[in-house]
Amino acid sequence: MADTFQIDIATPEKLVLSERVESAQIPGKDGYMGILPGHAALLSELGAGVLSVTVGGKTQDFAISGGFVEVRDDRVRVLADRAE
Amino acid sequence: MPSLIDIRRRVRSVRNTQQITKAMKMISAAKLRRAQERALAARPYAAMLQQILANVAEAASQSPDSGAHPLLATRPEKNVLLVVVTADRGLAGAFNTNLLKLAQRFVSENRDKNITFEAIGRKGRDYFRRREGKIAGDHADMMKQLSVDYSDKIAHGIIERFATGEVDAVYLFVNEFKSVMAPTLRESRLLPIEVPKSSSPADYIYEQKPEELLGSLLPKYIKGQIYGALLESVAAEHAARMTAMDAASSNASDMIDNLTLHMNRVRQASITREIIEIVSGAAAQG
Repeated sequence: MADTFQIDIATPEKLVLSERVESAQIPGKDGYMGILPGHAALLSELGAGVLSVTVGGKTQDFAISGGFVEVRDDRVRVLADRAE
Repeated sequence: MPSLIDIRRRVRSVRNTQQITKAMKMISAAKLRRAQERALAARPYAAMLQQILANVAEAASQSPDSGAHPLLATRPEKNVLLVVVTADRGLAGAFNTNLLKLAQRFVSENRDKNITFEAIGRKGRDYFRRREGKIAGDHADMMKQLSVDYSDKIAHGIIERFATGEVDAVYLFVNEFKSVMAPTLRESRLLPIEVPKSSSPADYIYEQKPEELLGSLLPKYIKGQIYGALLESVAAEHAARMTAMDAASSNASDMIDNLTLHMNRVRQASITREIIEIVSGAAAQG
């Protein structure tokens, strides 16, 4: 199993992040979800909150609200209405 | 025959015009670059959304209690809404004209339907107002400050009208940005949504029910389509204006060359005439 996975965060305006990361915390509509490499395919609506990704022990935070997240084949796609 | 002074005046006026067209060309080139960047930046979102939508729609259609979503409902097309995206300003070659022609053709081919217009961009609004088309929504002067919020507002109004049954179909007319040289016209049906086919359906864990997800995905999809169309149109507008102004500048240059040539001939002719007059005058006296 690979120890990183690809995450893309996009808003209607631009691609905010496209990187390989070790883990991600994503604010789902019904609560936070932790994503690690090898996660099963998943589709959920997003809530408002802080999305954080960890790579090499460092954490990066994004404030996001509204949208969707898709996890599939070690590829996470976050479609947020807003992300900063 | 025009006198020297007349021709000189003409040259000066053409040169002034050329300066304006040159400046406009350069401004458009700069704006084009920015618009192009924005249009490109928006593409990943649109592409991802489309893929997710395809997958979810597939799953939702398999679930037993899926009442078809209102935005997917096909009704006989009696009341049709045309969303026409034009520029706010002219001097962009055939940019607006071609698009309006395409929309006008749609109108004359569908005389039996009740057609209303959602005019985005001043040129389109003015055109349909002159023709006494029914304008439902009018959004002039927003192209230069295009924002997602405003675009969503337009989209929201359109979705609402479709969902309540006020219109049975929505068509979008827009100039697409394909290359700098030639904008491509696009006519497409916005609503009811034709769900893109999924190339590789996946077995997801659904945090919410697929139907529920579909319900919030579809309006987003429309919003994305409209925002994308606006961005493309802005980029295409600047490209068209740049090309048009480039052509105008080189036409002006040709005109200046021709006029200068003509002016020199006239000058030379008058000098020759004077010499002949002097020589023949001298000969008559001598």
